[in-house]
Parts: sequence; structure tokens; C-alpha cells
Amino acid sequence: MFSGKLRSALVIGGQGIRARKLRTFLSMVSLFLGVLAVVTVQAGAAIAERAMLTDVELQAGKDGTIMGYIPGEKGAPGIVESTLKGRADAVAMISSQAIIGEPGVRPINEGGMPFEYAGKGGNYYGPEMYCDSSGVCQEQKKPEKKPDGQAIEVSMVALTGDIRPFKPYRPISGSWLDFTTAPALAPRIVLNEEAAKGLTRYRIPGEMMIEGATHHVTPQIVGVVEDGSGSPRIYMRLDELRTWMPSAPANTDANRFRGGTQLEVYLQPDSGDLQQLLKAKLVGAGIDQNQLHFQTVNSKERMESQLKIMRLIFLGMAFLVLLIGVAGILNVGLATVGERVEEFALRRAVGMSRMLLAGIVLAETLLTGLLTAALAIGAGAAGLQVALMMFGHRFPSLQGTVFPWEAGMAGVIAGLIAGVLGGLIPAIRAARIPIATVMRA
Amino acid sequence: MTAPQVQVQAPLLQLNGITKVLKGQEEPRTILSGVDLTVHPGQSVAILGRSGSGKSTLLSLIGLFDRADEGQYFLHGNDITRVPERRAAALRSAEFGFVFQRFFLLKHLTAAQNVAMALVNGQGWSARRKRKQQVMEALEQVGIAHLAKSKPSRLSGGEQQRVAIARALVRQPRVILADEPTGALDTETGNLVVEVLLNTTRQGCGLVLVTHDHDHARKMGRVLELRDGRFN
Repeated sequence: MFSGKLRSALVIGGQGIRARKLRTFLSMVSLFLGVLAVVTVQAGAAIAERAMLTDVELQAGKDGTIMGYIPGEKGAPGIVESTLKGRADAVAMISSQAIIGEPGVRPINEGGMPFEYAGKGGNYYGPEMYCDSSGVCQEQKKPEKKPDGQAIEVSMVALTGDIRPFKPYRPISGSWLDFTTAPALAPRIVLNEEAAKGLTRYRIPGEMMIEGATHHVTPQIVGVVEDGSGSPRIYMRLDELRTWMPSAPANTDANRFRGGTQLEVYLQPDSGDLQQLLKAKLVGAGIDQNQLHFQTVNSKERMESQLKIMRLIFLGMAFLVLLIGVAGILNVGLATVGERVEEFALRRAVGMSRMLLAGIVLAETLLTGLLTAALAIGAGAAGLQVALMMFGHRFPSLQGTVFPWEAGMAGVIAGLIAGVLGGLIPAIRAARIPIATVMRA
Repeated sequence: MTAPQVQVQAPLLQLNGITKVLKGQEEPRTILSGVDLTVHPGQSVAILGRSGSGKSTLLSLIGLFDRADEGQYFLHGNDITRVPERRAAALRSAEFGFVFQRFFLLKHLTAAQNVAMALVNGQGWSARRKRKQQVMEALEQVGIAHLAKSKPSRLSGGEQQRVAIARALVRQPRVILADEPTGALDTETGNLVVEVLLNTTRQGCGLVLVTHDHDHARKMGRVLELRDGRFN
């Protein structure tokens, strides 16, 4: 399988390493730190990128997803719902507001703000204006001030299907919405962490008022997820919402001030036909084509440019440490060549060529470099596991993190580079040893 | 009446007018000046001379460790005076066996591994079993097969030199080049080593022995003395 030269190089290289175990170990120590630094930086960058990406994906959607914004008017929600019905490659989210708790009271977090800010900031809001698309603005009548009560206001997101293939919400407790069963009369809802915090902190009756709904409903809470949002939010099936709201929520003057009914569509990257069909139907229903915005989510690209500089700085530092390791292996290599002058001269005397002799010295440092790299990669992977066991629960985005292969690859490359750089000069020196001078009696 | 037929054997190696000048000093110094030497298969040649007379330089030129500045060098009739380094390495492996005064055994290897070193030199590859067999044969040839697993530090001077001779013999060379092989040994052990070397010539191997010892030199087929870079 291998040529005689390669076999000879490996046999003699192995003998050389075994014969100088302590020296090999010493040269490995500094190199180990260098390779470990490279592996750590690479692994850290990959994990940070993944963690950041996961957090961004919670809100913006997975990379490559086609995301569409559609105005919630002229029957658009119904068109979207009927078009996407039964499809796994696209999901629509229709957002509205809902109040959970006592009816007819002012919610603790009016406007659906995070509970941290609830009750802060005074009561003056100033005149509220609404401007239509032609630029005509009018003042909105102030709603009557309601008495304070035990209720919280949340964003309500009704879904046509499972959104998790597009937005990887992380389960905290309970389960996610089941879209395979028949719609329930009491709508099943999933809370985000902030909404769960509100329900835990305050004694809220289990009654829900949905904007535009015909009756108050009694929801069933089935689970809590982390969705990356700081505001309280609940998720439910659109068909279960329909039971209480026969017509899809439409924009009214009142909810326009809160951003109106939001209609978002998430499509798989290869669903161009569906996108065209949806656009055609919506335009046919009288919606202006310019109001339909579709874009591809490319969070990774955006983040990579931000991470690049940071990664370069840390890699620069890691390579400095690696250089110290190379200097160590070079130092030991040169000292070893000095000690092994007679051996090298003898090997040439018995027929070894200069090239092969240089190859053997290089093979020894390469083997040392690779062995060190393997140890550093192993230490890095083990360190990551220990760190995840100890601190993983504090960072949910790191759950399920595995040692990134890029870090392993970087370690192997660093080990090889260090082996070549540290062994090249000793190899050249070894090849230039004059046999006649050394072997003289 | 016909003349008796004399079978003339082609020389193993032949040097014609070899000159070597040592450069890199204030004044270049001529070490060898027009040296001629012919060695036939099975022939043993002793080269005597005072220190600095050029004996070791001549041996390193024959062994292709170094190049002559002038003259010609033929091996089996082929001119190898300007042979490139890679070819020289292959010739050293296939044609020559070297024995040195200081043994040059690697202390971290056993006697057998030291002998096997001449087989693991990148010039072809033989299976481990075959290598082991060759090594044991070479060690048997010099009478120390029982010491195969001993490291040099456990061997006497004579035993170490015999390991070095086994290393020189393991590739079955055509010429043995020995540079003062008895210089570090007592008389009795030295005689033993010379006997071992002479034995190789009985199998058709050429032997060039550089020595200070006239007794050992007299045991060779031919004795030459180098003085001021020339044979007397």
C-alpha cells in the first residue's frame, strides 16, 4: 500500500519519537496550548454563531425561509387560510390582541407591554393620530379609561399550521399545539415565557377576550415556549379561533393604532409556485401588489459579517499562541538534530537519500503535531461537554450543542501547520549533514 | 602450443588519478594527489599511513560520501565519478558496507534493530519476516545471533563492532570499507574483528581496510601506504 520510502519514514519517525519521549512531550506542551487556543476560538465562534442564529431564528425565521407580509384587509386572511390549508410547506400567522382575565378592566400591562414596564411611565399618552395611505390624518378618540383589574394584555398569534419548521421555538414546559386533531371548542393556547410570567405573577381568571370575537372564551393552556419575544404572546390554532370569530380579523380604525391585524406568511425556500399563486389570488381580491412584500430570511449572512471581525481578532491571538508552540517544536527539533548528527550521517551512509532523511525529520514533527492536535481537540470537546453540563441550563440556546466539526478541522490544520513549520528547518539541516566529516575516525 | 588461458576478472572498483583538495581554508590543501587503486572481487587491501595522510578521505571517496576534484572512479566498469546524490545513495545501499572505528550504533535500538537499520533506508522494502531473517543471518555470520535483543549499552566493544559489521553485511555488499575498525578495541578483540572481515572476502566481497596496525595490515592480500596524498 505504501512505498518503501514512506514506510521507512514512518518506521524511523516512530522509533525517533519513542526514543525521545520526554523531549517529544515537552515540544507537545507548548504546541498543545497553541492548538487548543485555535480549537477553542473556532469552537467558540461556531457555537456563538449558532446561539446567535438560533435566537435570531426565533424571531426572524430560519435562514432561507421566504417570509411574506400581507395587509390584513379585503379578505386577505381568508384567502391566505384557504390557500395554505393542509400544506406543510407554508404557514400563516395572523396576529391580533387579546386580554386574559377580568372583563371590562384595564389590563395590568395595557398595550401588551412587558410586565417589567407595567404601571410605569404615567398616564399621559398625548393625542393619538391615524394617517391613511393618502396621507390624511385624523385624531383618534381616546378610549374611555377603564378601572384597573386583574387582566393582562397579550399579542395573540393564530396559526394555520405548525410554525416550528420555520421558527424553532424552544419548549419550556407542556406541549406545542397539535394541528392533527379536530379543533376544540375551548381554544388550546401556548404561552411564551413573558405571558407565562404574567399569569404566574398575577391572579388572573381564565377568561380571554379576543378583539373582534363574538364571545369571551375559556382557553386551555397546553404549554410554554421560548419564542425570543420580550412581550407577552400566545399562540393558538386559527381554526379554533374561527369558532369564536366567524370572520377573519380585519383592520378596524381601533386596531390600526396598534399596528392593525398582522398577516405573515412563511414559505419553504423551494415554494415559488405557491408564492405566485398566493400573490395572484390576493391581487385578484383587490390588494395592491405593492403592499405584498416577500423576502428571503438571511440572518446568517448578516450575522457572519458581524462575527467575522471578532473571529479574526481571536484567531489572530490564537495563532500567536500557536506560533509560540511552533517556536517550541522548532527549538526542540533543532536541538534534536544537533544530538542526532551521527545517527543521520549513519543513515545516509547506509543508503538513505537526503530527501528521505529530511522527510523523516518532518514526519516526526508532523506526527507530533497531529498527535498534539488530536489531544487538543479531545480536550476541547471534553471541555465543552463539561461546560455544557455545568452551565448549559443557564443558556437555553446552547442546549443540544455538539462540538463543531469546523473546530476539529481547524485543530488538525493547526497541528499540521505547526508540524511543518517546526520541522522544516531541522529537516533541511538534517539533510545537509556531511557524512564524510561526521563518520571520520 | 597454445598459451595458457588466464582468466582476467574485471575490477570491482578502480580509481584513476584521484585528487582531492580541501577548500574553505586560507590556503587550499591537497589531501589526495593522483591516487590510483584497483580492487578485485575477493581481494583485501590494507591502507596504512600516518594521521592526516588522506586514508579516511580516500575511503569516503570510495564510499561516495564525498566527490573527487579530479580523476575517475569506476565501479564494475561504470564511471560513477559524477554520479548524482540520489544514485550515490542507492549505490551506497546496494554495493558498499561500512565499518567505522566508533561503531555508530544507535543506543535506543537493539542489536537486531541496529542491523535492520541498513534495510530500512528507503531503498526498496522487504516484509518484516524477511528482514528479520536477513538480520539474524548477518548476526550469525559474525557470531553474535544470541545478542540480537541486547541494546548496545549491554555489549562489549568487540560485540558492538561485530554488530556494526553485521549491519555492513546485511545487504550483502560487494565491497566492505572499514575505517580503523580495530582502533577502539584491544588486540585480541581486534584480531577477532579482522578475522570476521577477512571471512567476507572468501565469499567474493572486496575489502578495503584503513588501519594504523601493521599486524592487521599484513593479513590483507595487498598493503598500500599513503604518504602526502600518494601511494608509495
